[in-house]
Amino acid sequence: MSGDHPHMQDFEGHVEAVASDLEYFRRKRIEPRVLLYLRRGIIGWGDLFGGHDEIGSADEPEPQADLELRIRALEDSLDELILASATVTAGVRLADHTVAIDDNRTERGDYNPEFRLPTRSYEGDIETRIGLLEKAITDARHLVAAFTRALVLAGQVTEEDLAANRSRLSELGHRNGARIVARAWVDPEFKQRLLETGREAVRELDIPPGRLGRLGVAENTEDAHNIVVCTLCSCYPHDLLGNPPWWYRTDEYKTRIVTEPRETIRDMFGLEIDPDRKVVVHDSTSDVRWMVLPRRPDGTEGMSEEELAELVTAESLVGSAEIASPG
Amino acid sequence: MSADRFTVGDRVRVLATVQDGNPRTPRYVRDKRGVITARYGVVVNPLDHHEPYPPLYTVEFRVEELSGVPGPDLVTADLHEEWLEPA
Repeated sequence: MSGDHPHMQDFEGHVEAVASDLEYFRRKRIEPRVLLYLRRGIIGWGDLFGGHDEIGSADEPEPQADLELRIRALEDSLDELILASATVTAGVRLADHTVAIDDNRTERGDYNPEFRLPTRSYEGDIETRIGLLEKAITDARHLVAAFTRALVLAGQVTEEDLAANRSRLSELGHRNGARIVARAWVDPEFKQRLLETGREAVRELDIPPGRLGRLGVAENTEDAHNIVVCTLCSCYPHDLLGNPPWWYRTDEYKTRIVTEPRETIRDMFGLEIDPDRKVVVHDSTSDVRWMVLPRRPDGTEGMSEEELAELVTAESLVGSAEIASPG
Repeated sequence: MSADRFTVGDRVRVLATVQDGNPRTPRYVRDKRGVITARYGVVVNPLDHHEPYPPLYTVEFRVEELSGVPGPDLVTADLHEEWLEPA
């Protein structure tokens, strides 16, 4: 993941994004599930403690002295946490046990502050915050590891299922998005189906269409450049496309992009949009999650669909970059 | 099931407040005018909604209408029908 952004210029932005991601996954994906499974007796406390004994205590890595390396290590650790959490979540599908989080409790009207998992704040100077986040991510990884072992001990999931999930999820990056884009470039009829039906069309590529609402596809043209945001939280078709770039969750991006999109794209991403083209910002929600269909670059005539897919970057799927001509 | 109230091309205004409406209507589009560019009907989203909300539309706004910054640029948001009135 860290290879995606070779020049880390904004340390504050990276640390803020880690804190916000950690709190999102901890409060919405990890702790509510552990608590629910304990309450319902799907696992027992004994399973959880037994699971913890099996994993032992993880080695504490030597903290990096260099700030940038330390932040990268933090991001890698967070990626590992998210993958481990997704691995175990995908492993156990219990129809009667929808995990309620504060947001959907509020919407369906049974919100109760007694069950609230508050957002933690990580305060202090940047090194202090990094230290607090290192500790918090390590703790969360211990919890997920113990929870995973507990489910195995309780007979809810098998080692084989977990290994298969992990391998499938690690493969999921922006590669699905790249395949979708390359097919749309070479097959106009597929492109039309993609623009009109979104997720339904990706089945043609043997990509599971997923369950996260509708997929909106915004096509870049000579007249328009599209870019995606989620101003309310951080909705993204991540089940199809993997995680969005790190800056996607920053408040600076969410606030500025809907106020002065063209200037924001220039200042944050160094991308000048031609004055003849309009910029269209798509604000995603959990009902419709948007991706950008970038323009096919010049000099790609005669390239195969697979070669074309290699050109597609994760940033271009969000709209913060265009795709360069090869060579 | 009731028919959709709006169709593509309709000019609409987003209401400033709605009782029991979908809470995910972004604040910066409230009380602003836009145009319907797509309609989805009733979206079933059991992960996030207990009961389905009224039909969903993509509404396109001029940035100038939203933030006062002049220019050709646009923002789209996906909004449920209870938030919209004809403009």
